[in-house]
Amino acid sequence: MNPVLEEIYSTIIPSAPFVIGAYALVFLVLFAYVAFVLTKLKGVERKMDALEERVEELGK
Amino acid sequence: MAGNRAKRPRVGGALDRFAPVGLAVGAVLALVGLVYAFTVTPLVNGASVNGVEVINGVAVSNMLLLSQKIFYWHMPVAAVSFVAIAFGAYYAVRFLMTKDAAYDVRSKLCMEIGLVFVLCTMFTGLLWTRFEWGVWWTWEPRLTTYFILMLLVFGYFILRNAVADPERRAVYASVLSILILVDVPICLMVTRLIPSSVHPVVFRADSGMSFEMVLPILLSVVGFALVAIGLFRLRLRAQILEDRLTAVQEALED
Repeated sequence: MNPVLEEIYSTIIPSAPFVIGAYALVFLVLFAYVAFVLTKLKGVERKMDALEERVEELGK
Repeated sequence: MAGNRAKRPRVGGALDRFAPVGLAVGAVLALVGLVYAFTVTPLVNGASVNGVEVINGVAVSNMLLLSQKIFYWHMPVAAVSFVAIAFGAYYAVRFLMTKDAAYDVRSKLCMEIGLVFVLCTMFTGLLWTRFEWGVWWTWEPRLTTYFILMLLVFGYFILRNAVADPERRAVYASVLSILILVDVPICLMVTRLIPSSVHPVVFRADSGMSFEMVLPILLSVVGFALVAIGLFRLRLRAQILEDRLTAVQEALED
């Protein structure tokens, strides 16, 4: 390759893992928070089921 | 804790129906910004090289930097983190004025969203700094003030977990939330007061940012703002449901 072109593009490949890593980490953090919210919602559903059972027991 | 019921914040309205749509639209906008930044926006120039080459009809005598592409999400998530913390402080002020727990819940959730975006900003910034400067961290003004902001937000949640009494917890957390807001304008303005090569002033009249650079940033800022609003409303509904269930369970136990 032309040495000037080689120098112009010399940082592209070395920087690629950092660029990919940066964007991947943003995705990861946001998905982790979404998973956290879904976990909270599942906890609410479990409490709701337990409450319904308790109400049934009280009704009997 | 009583409040003026006519002005209490509400859930279940149009904003909550819009939340999942807003979340999806925001994600799409941020992705469009990302794709635009990588496909249309040209690479920026770095250090000069020994010689000139013509690339796509343009004479280039500098290294072309791919690492600068991190900026197109780094800046938007930082902006959204500031806005989320500002809303946390707003709800904190509303709580201190009304002593209505609904505002404390909202303040806490805004700080949660703020923490998520603070972490996104720190991770993207660390990777960019590592490649550009060869170090994971440097004590330059903006990094230092933002690091302090992150520690304060961690401290907010540590404080909430440490105080058992709900009313005292809400008061202390509200005060801390307002104090955390003080660091936001410092983070924003510090590069204008103490010039830094790591964080040049981006928004100025002669910033040299072309339309192709500004557009993906705007798309990503709007996108992440919608994502933050959507996450906030979904989280709020989950939290309110959980609180109501807990109250009903406790009433049944009595």
